[in-house]
Amino acid sequence: MSDLHVFLLNGLGLGAIYAFIALGYTMVYGIIRLINFAHGEVFMVGAYIGYFALRGLGVEQMPLPAPWPVVLAILVALLLAGLGSGLLAVVVERLAYRPVRKAGRIAALLTAVGVSLLLQNLTLRLFTATPRPGPAAREWIALESLPATAPGELRVDRTVRLSDGRSDTDEVVVADSGVALDEAWRARLAAEGHQGVFRRVELTKQQHQLFVIGMLALFAPTLWWLVKRTRTGKAMRAVSEDMDAARLMGIPIDRVVMATFFLGAFVAGLGGVAYAATYGKVEPMLGFLPGMKAFVAAVIGGIGSIPGAILGGLVLGLVEALLPLLLMRMGWAEAFGWTDALAFLFLIVVLLVKPTGLLGKPLREKV
Amino acid sequence: MGSDALPSTLVLGLSLGPTGLWWTHLLVMVGMYALLGLSLNLINGYGRMFSLGHHGFWALGAYAAGSLVHHAAGSMPGPLLFLASVVLAVGVAALGGLLIGVPCLRLKGDYLAVATLGFGEILRITIQNLPEGLLGANIGLTVPRVLLEKTPETKGLFQAGWAGLMVVAVVLVAWLVRNLVTSARGRTMLAVAQDEVAAGLLGVDPTRSKVAPFVVGAALAGLAGALYAHYQGTIAPQEFTFLEMVKMLLVVVLGGLGSISGCILAAFVLLYVEQVLQLAGQDMLPAGVPPLPASWTWLAEWWSVIYALVLVLLMIFRPHGLLGTRELNDLLRSWRTRRTGRGTGAGA
Repeated sequence: MSDLHVFLLNGLGLGAIYAFIALGYTMVYGIIRLINFAHGEVFMVGAYIGYFALRGLGVEQMPLPAPWPVVLAILVALLLAGLGSGLLAVVVERLAYRPVRKAGRIAALLTAVGVSLLLQNLTLRLFTATPRPGPAAREWIALESLPATAPGELRVDRTVRLSDGRSDTDEVVVADSGVALDEAWRARLAAEGHQGVFRRVELTKQQHQLFVIGMLALFAPTLWWLVKRTRTGKAMRAVSEDMDAARLMGIPIDRVVMATFFLGAFVAGLGGVAYAATYGKVEPMLGFLPGMKAFVAAVIGGIGSIPGAILGGLVLGLVEALLPLLLMRMGWAEAFGWTDALAFLFLIVVLLVKPTGLLGKPLREKV
Repeated sequence: MGSDALPSTLVLGLSLGPTGLWWTHLLVMVGMYALLGLSLNLINGYGRMFSLGHHGFWALGAYAAGSLVHHAAGSMPGPLLFLASVVLAVGVAALGGLLIGVPCLRLKGDYLAVATLGFGEILRITIQNLPEGLLGANIGLTVPRVLLEKTPETKGLFQAGWAGLMVVAVVLVAWLVRNLVTSARGRTMLAVAQDEVAAGLLGVDPTRSKVAPFVVGAALAGLAGALYAHYQGTIAPQEFTFLEMVKMLLVVVLGGLGSISGCILAAFVLLYVEQVLQLAGQDMLPAGVPPLPASWTWLAEWWSVIYALVLVLLMIFRPHGLLGTRELNDLLRSWRTRRTGRGTGAGA
């Protein structure tokens, strides 16, 4: 049964990340009827910003016994990732989407595909395709108190030269990858005058997933409040109801659209950091598949509906985690290789049975 | 092939040389993307629908033809097998188009884009996960040559033959698309594309008028897939990615959403620049090919970025493509009348 536990958590954790991305899709679609294909890339950029922020804040230099600096660094990184993604989305909206808003749906969709490709390839050129391991906090272990481990238990990950002037010796970071920290290595460390080593402390995948679910539980009501109770939120709902009428009522359409893009991208940026942390790496193609799946989630939940996006995300995450498990139990051994195909199949089934999604209202025909 | 045919093909192979081989290869690939662009134009250009799964139909055709030839090579004469594989590919792709199109085109909105995008992905995952003996999984499927041999001696004949075949295929498909669009059925399609509700009020069945061009477009992509499998000799799922889809979109958009000659021209421009950039970066450009200026070499590194940027800029400044729905001869005619008009004006 604990097996099922893990799968449930996997599903909810993944679903929460889909929900974070799906929110932006659904909000933008609700307001200007555009599938923002670049949204997955905004999510990816958020992950990169979070990565660089954590490194820049020196999380790797923070000793773990005092956890508060690390927690603070994570919060700052999340904030920066959200703001950065939001800013990017606003720039994209202003430069690329606004000029084509009147040019018809196909032009707008093509622009979105182009922007998505542009961001992907730009990141690829700037940061290369090599995945970067997510930064982790580390724990200091003095050389004399190094546990007498069997070879293979503590491993040297890499050596880093401290360049801040405090020390000019190489600092040794150990983790669960790299060279085994055997007797020969210990002798070498002692000979080079090291006082000890740092061990990378990483949360388990399950802990990350709990964190992501908690984040969603915190953010969903906030977003709900923003859209239902604030002036901007009311304007957003008015524009999505009827853009022309809203304009006649004196609502500044362009500003409202911009705010929608910002809000959606802010949330996606948070999701990006969470995704990179949970799966332990950042890379330029990181946004493509989750972005696509999140759109599927938004459609499943009912595109244009904010609770629908959250529900759709969670449902899709659970389907992805549990359906292959079920199929495997039923005797289909390779079911897990087909996870992505099953997700899209699920979408097609939902489109056939309930085209407006779980919580969606039927789109009214405007003649 | 008789032994007496060998000397002449040997001469042809030698006379083509590396430059000739390069040009014929370019011609074949231009033909391939022109076919894909023309078929996508039927859906996204004339039909005003938005499919993002054309690479899926292309792959479907390639794998239908490829697997038939792979498993049945030698069981019947080469040309017959070639023909059978092409027919099968077109049929399978059309069936795929029908299965995707009917549920999605009943709905309003952009569901087609999402479902077709999902279809392309599902197809790739399926090929990768099926047993290796069936479709080659990740390693790829070898497609034995059944029409033209490709050995070092017959390379020239192979390339020249394929270039000719592609020209014929493109001309046929362009003719088909043009006739389709100007037919009565085509006009109902254009009407539905313009205003579904109004067309429906005039008694046109909107779903049928959308499904038909979608299925024909998918079938033609299947044809391109069959030709691709035969020309390449091996196919792998990694070749049919979303990037290919974007390339096809770029061909359609560059040429004009709803322009046949624009589509072919765009395929040529896009592939010529791409191939020259790729080879120039490796110093492998054959002697007879006009190289790009030396100051352009940085383009090779930034090609994929520029590609995307061109798509975005085109959409912002020319949302209906460079030619729009006009054809090249329209442009030539208007240019000529303008010139003669100006000429008489100056004379008077």
